[in-house]
Amino acid sequence: MANELSLRIVIVDDSPVRAAILSEGLQEAGFHNVLRIEGVNNLLGRIYAIDPDVILIDLENPSRDTIEQMFQMSREVKRPVAMFVDQSDSATIEEAIAAGVASYVVDGLRKDRVRPILETTISRYRAFARLREELEEARSQLEERKLVDRAKLILMRAKNVDEQTAYGLIRRTAMNEKKRLAEIAQSIITAAELLR
Amino acid sequence: MRRLAMGFIPLTDAAVLIAAAERGFSMAEGIEIDLHREVSWANIRDKVNVGLLDGAHMLGPLAIASSLGLGHVRVPLVVPFALNLNGSAITIARGVYEEMGETGEDLSSGLGAARALGKVVLARKAQGRDPLTFAAVYAFSTHTYLIRHFLKAGGVDPDRDVRLVVVPPPFMAESLRNGLIHGFSVGSPWNSVAVDADVGRIAVLGAEIFGWVPEKVLGVHARFVKTEPDLLRRLVRALHSAARWCEDPANHEDLARLLGEPRHLNLPADVLRRTLDGRLHTAPGGALRVHPDYLILHRDNANRPSRDHALWIYSQIVKSGQGEWTRDAAREAVGVYRPDLYDAAVGPQPEPADRVPDCVATQFGETFDAERFLQNT
Repeated sequence: MANELSLRIVIVDDSPVRAAILSEGLQEAGFHNVLRIEGVNNLLGRIYAIDPDVILIDLENPSRDTIEQMFQMSREVKRPVAMFVDQSDSATIEEAIAAGVASYVVDGLRKDRVRPILETTISRYRAFARLREELEEARSQLEERKLVDRAKLILMRAKNVDEQTAYGLIRRTAMNEKKRLAEIAQSIITAAELLR
Repeated sequence: MRRLAMGFIPLTDAAVLIAAAERGFSMAEGIEIDLHREVSWANIRDKVNVGLLDGAHMLGPLAIASSLGLGHVRVPLVVPFALNLNGSAITIARGVYEEMGETGEDLSSGLGAARALGKVVLARKAQGRDPLTFAAVYAFSTHTYLIRHFLKAGGVDPDRDVRLVVVPPPFMAESLRNGLIHGFSVGSPWNSVAVDADVGRIAVLGAEIFGWVPEKVLGVHARFVKTEPDLLRRLVRALHSAARWCEDPANHEDLARLLGEPRHLNLPADVLRRTLDGRLHTAPGGALRVHPDYLILHRDNANRPSRDHALWIYSQIVKSGQGEWTRDAAREAVGVYRPDLYDAAVGPQPEPADRVPDCVATQFGETFDAERFLQNT
């Protein structure tokens, strides 16, 4: 029996960080035949040259349609097989799509040989998405704090109050108007700029 | 109020769906549409399949191929509404277009342009040079079938004399510039974008090849029809009102601006206006190629999914070698297009009395006759 760890896997992902995270995950799981492809030039030529067993591609990659054309041109594929999504495991396909990745598998490759690859892919994609969300959140929190700090300064000067009082004013207004602190801060900044 | 997630690809013919969502037509039916811009037809199909999208702007041939399980996992889709007829064009790289001009053929006619391109392709072949490469946006697309028909009319074998590839629309102009491809067949506004970037010339409009090509449709999963028949009727009615609004030239300025917004197509409104009006520049700031049927959003019964159109699409799938002919597949293909669902939503629409034998109104080359296709094969 062929060793599943020797399956040739190609990753097509415009995000180098995510591609690296996935590639590392697959290597850790023992798959040593993992290649990453970047850019769109001659994508099909490069994929033919590698002749992969499995292709993993991020959903936001417009080249999915280009790759799917390969199924229509089997005479150009070296092996006389078409690449297909594994039809037998719709739950895994759904999970993968929800995680943001699609997979193409050489027709006839058994489900149990592919499953560990897909599971690793799904979990790494999810981890990457979480990481990005956290970063995004941290960045927006920082932005919001900066806004509130600026608004506080404006109030302190305009009303000649201390920092605590200025912050209290912003917070009370936010609560009364059922808005976020940053929104109130933004309107104070905008108003101050208009009145300058 | 019901919320529906609907996908679209940034193309002019997403107009009816976008207008339905943004100009109050869906609200009037108690539906709030969340629009999702997608980057590939494969994503559209997969997201409708797993339920991340309730429906989408879709290529007619994609809806049929997916339902037949061609090229990918089988996804049973249903077409209760057609978003448009026509709207594409074939653009040729500047250098190749100049060669076409030297053949002595009349490039102002569709057949003349086909013959000119045929001469260029065959001359290259005779000289033993590399074949030309032409791109479409998806294997199962009217654009693929248009360029194959166009090449054949010029005496070219699309499987042997040229290479046909798939390139995503945003990369078309760039691929033309750097010589990776020599022409493409694509929906608007990407032809105009390539012309404005001065990398290609529009050689022929889709409507000059076929008078009525079944283009984009609303595609939904078959389970939608079973579980939410009332909601589907309301959705179709909303699209129908939106289509009537989109067709009216008095609304084209507003529509072009709406489509041009960054969250939709993110393109200048004047480019979109030209494609809505069917007045296309074939060279930068220069000659116009005008066709009243360049893009049909509502008139000519455009929104009623035609079973003959579904059969034409299936015939193209077979002719292009994308699928084997079987009577069952033909029946299934025709069953994807559902004029009955359309009629149930907007009221019965009588079949036109003088049913035309060639439902795509072929302008030159091999014609299509639905009855004959069914009998002979």
